[in-house]
Amino acid sequence: MEQSLNEIREQFHRDLDAITTAESLVAIRDKYLGRKSGLIAASKKNIGKLGADERAEFGRQVNELSREVETEIERLDVEISARNEEAALLRERVDVTLPGTGASGGHLHPITLVRQRIEDIFVSMGYSVEDGPEIETPFYNFDALNIPPSHPARDSADTFYVSDTLALRTQTSNVQIHTMERQKPPLRVIAPGRVFRRDTPDPTHNPMFFQVEGLNVDRHITMADLKGTLTKFVEMMFGVNLRTRFRPSYFPFTEPSAEVDFSCYVCDGAGCRVCKGTGWIELGGSGMVHPNVLETVGIDPEEFSGFAFGLGIDRMAALMYGIDDIRLLYENDVRFLEQFA
Amino acid sequence: MKISYQWLKELVALRTTPQELAEKLTMAGLAVDSVEEHGGDFILDFDLTSNRPDALSHFGIAREAAIVCGGRLISPLVELSESSETAESAAGIQIAEPTLCPRYAARLIKGVKVGSSPKWLVDRLEAIGQRSINNIADISNYVMFEMGQPTHAFDLHTLKGRRIIVRRAQPGEILRTLDGVDRTLSPEMLVIADAERAVAVAGVMGGEETEISSATTDVLLESAYFDPDSVRHTSRELGLTTEASYRFERGADFDAAVRAADRASRLIAEIAGGVVLQGVLDEYPAPITRTPVPLREARIERLTGLKVEIERAAEILTALEFRVELLKERYELLALPPSFRIDVSREEDLVEEVARHIGYEKIALTVPEWSGTGAYLAGETIRRGLRRELLSSGFDEAISFSFAAGERDRLFRSSETDTPTITNPIDANETAMRGSLITRLLESIQGNFNKGTKDVKLFEIGRVFGRVAADGRPQERERLALIMTGMAEPGSWREKQQIDFFDLKGAVQSVMQSSNVSGFTIERASVEYLHPGQSAALIKDGRQVAMFGRLHPRIAALYKFRQAVFVAELELGELLETAGHQIRYRGLPRFPASSRDVSALVQDDVSWRDIEETISDLGFGEIESVNVFDVYAGRGIPEGSRSLAFRITYRSQDATLTDEQVNLMQEKVKEALEGRLKIQLR
Ligand SMILES: [Zn+2]
Repeated sequence: MEQSLNEIREQFHRDLDAITTAESLVAIRDKYLGRKSGLIAASKKNIGKLGADERAEFGRQVNELSREVETEIERLDVEISARNEEAALLRERVDVTLPGTGASGGHLHPITLVRQRIEDIFVSMGYSVEDGPEIETPFYNFDALNIPPSHPARDSADTFYVSDTLALRTQTSNVQIHTMERQKPPLRVIAPGRVFRRDTPDPTHNPMFFQVEGLNVDRHITMADLKGTLTKFVEMMFGVNLRTRFRPSYFPFTEPSAEVDFSCYVCDGAGCRVCKGTGWIELGGSGMVHPNVLETVGIDPEEFSGFAFGLGIDRMAALMYGIDDIRLLYENDVRFLEQFA
Repeated sequence: MKISYQWLKELVALRTTPQELAEKLTMAGLAVDSVEEHGGDFILDFDLTSNRPDALSHFGIAREAAIVCGGRLISPLVELSESSETAESAAGIQIAEPTLCPRYAARLIKGVKVGSSPKWLVDRLEAIGQRSINNIADISNYVMFEMGQPTHAFDLHTLKGRRIIVRRAQPGEILRTLDGVDRTLSPEMLVIADAERAVAVAGVMGGEETEISSATTDVLLESAYFDPDSVRHTSRELGLTTEASYRFERGADFDAAVRAADRASRLIAEIAGGVVLQGVLDEYPAPITRTPVPLREARIERLTGLKVEIERAAEILTALEFRVELLKERYELLALPPSFRIDVSREEDLVEEVARHIGYEKIALTVPEWSGTGAYLAGETIRRGLRRELLSSGFDEAISFSFAAGERDRLFRSSETDTPTITNPIDANETAMRGSLITRLLESIQGNFNKGTKDVKLFEIGRVFGRVAADGRPQERERLALIMTGMAEPGSWREKQQIDFFDLKGAVQSVMQSSNVSGFTIERASVEYLHPGQSAALIKDGRQVAMFGRLHPRIAALYKFRQAVFVAELELGELLETAGHQIRYRGLPRFPASSRDVSALVQDDVSWRDIEETISDLGFGEIESVNVFDVYAGRGIPEGSRSLAFRITYRSQDATLTDEQVNLMQEKVKEALEGRLKIQLR
């Protein structure tokens, strides 16, 4: 017996409720909307049994059912594919809190970080970076720097010797002399590098450390230029609002000489642990190149004058990163090295 | 050096607080480290530069304080009453070495009573950290800390022949010094002797046998000027530094001898009783003279940028006790330094004296004019580039001491080269200037292992040393070393692979690539410290510029390493010279490529390089690349062979290659591999 349209509709909704996959949806479509064997097409055969006035109404109801089936199937189709997509994405879900992979990056040595920054600053001020031997003759390491033969710095208690005529340089000032022998003024040079002093390692000493020496020789160089240059350097290195202080001091290779301090960037001069309560941090030694030094390399001190300075790179690194035991700098402990970027 | 503020105030009329004084003196070049309260007094701790021995006393500091604070200077009293007996009749002095002892003065005091010092004297000395001994010794010390001149008191009765002879020590001469130590002396050392024997090491320490004791009644008080170099040398040789030697080796005041002897004698008579004999024994065979130093007004400005009138400069120098002759119309002056200022001999020294008293803070801040450009060290761009490259491959940068244990370092030197040896090392085991960067890096690896870090990748850029070259200097060469061990990706929860030879080779190649160095080959090499099966050299222009591989198990055993360690060392200096060749763009291919895979069973004595060369020898310009994508040995592969899979990519610049064309070439490749290398293709 043929089903009434209402029975078809009810059956369709029952079928629909049981559906979970897109494939069964295709089967349902065929079952109801198939052009020949579909239930709706089949019900159309009953049209002949109706009276002329009922036909139009029946036709309308068939069309209505077709549209309803069509819409429902489409809605379910969208619903199922959305559900499928969601399931697929869920299957590809990862724990995003697990660590990323791939070789993790290494780290530059703190000495290199500070050294490169110093080089960048001075190159930007027109200085050339120079280099010289680490094993040096007493002439370049002492004599030419106006350090007299009896000076305690030459003593084997303070300086490493590899022979009577060769020592491990105790400062990069030897580069000054080599440079001034090679080139005539005007000269603007910095010389960063390793230096050696016969100190037993402890938290504030190492037998090897890094220094940067600066030299500026020209016709009208004065101590005002020295002050201005080092103040500029301090601003670029440690912070723009810092002040410098120049205290009279003594170095054999400069006259007048000055010790340079800068106002503590932590407490701004009030006194704290970093500046040991003084409000000032020591930067290094400086002064006007001693006329004996200029004369030794054949530069007339009446015509030319110059300033020189020497800064400790290790000390600066210790200061900038708060390293309280500088022996760590040369032990190459990975746990130390990987703290620097 | 400690200075008592109360004591100082007896020598200069001060109205400043101790803190203000410390600040002012620091800014005048006499650095005060700390100011501390001490029982109603303040102790200023000075850190003086070695050129200012004149300031190593209360009076020395008072002189500077008087100028920076504007107070009046009060000289210690030296007037004394003398007995009718003359000193000359009681003792004699002879200087046998006038260059080492230009001046020797002495006072004689008879009838003293040795005992403890009065409280004020004990307190004074204790305030500056000195222990009281007895009244005579304390007075000698007091005068030194007051005036800067060291003196020494002998018990006159113990001096044989009542004579002082200043001479060199005899070879092997032994003297027991005040500290109870027997000192063996040598002829380079100056001694004070009596008629028979040495009784004091000149300027350093007195002898025990002639020291003041409770039985002493008569005193010979020495006040001399010794040659600074001689005292320094003796003090170093004996390993003995005293307050006296500290002052003499920096340079005492050659004019202070008599004044200090008078001051001490006055105090002895006052405190310990006794009478001072008439006259000073003062041997001063060749009085030291100084020459005046000229100063031009223009020179001050030229060096400091400060405009200071010559009259003002004269004022400052006069206050500093220079004898100044002002040549006003020439804007110049002549300044004769006082006897205690041994540090002034050139015009620039005077400029500093003037500038530090005008104040360095008055000097402006200027930046010198300059036309030109700055420049980095040659090769710095590449050096920085390869640092970046190594960083991205996970290497940390190491920096090691440049000296190392010689017997270890020799293991890693590429030839039999000797390197310079430190003659006065701190650690007797570490005397060799390194001939290789590997020596210290292996120690670092060992250190990291000991701390529990097993995955380590380090690199170091630094110099190694070689034998002394023709110019008399040891060779210094810049090298780069890499060292790696442990997991390739430490800490990864996914990749569990250990670092192997190819990780190291990859790192070496990336260094070469980032340095933009081309035209090198990598060959199997025999390197003593490397595993014979895993060592290679990088050859450029016929020279080995790098060696790398796995550390030889025998050497790894020396360090007790339980995991494989890989090392590379490159002649960075040489590479930098050839680095950075011009980059030239090549047009991109316009036609598609075809590729063919080959799977081959290869005998172990046939290298991948042999395969590459065999293929390239065929001369097919259409072969764009040959890339290995799998290497396998083990199960299913005969012993002594391995299986290689590789892909050959063909491409023409002029047309799309047909299958027939590619197949034809591929056949030739296979024939060559089978024929020439006995490779079994599968
Ligand atoms: Zn601070």
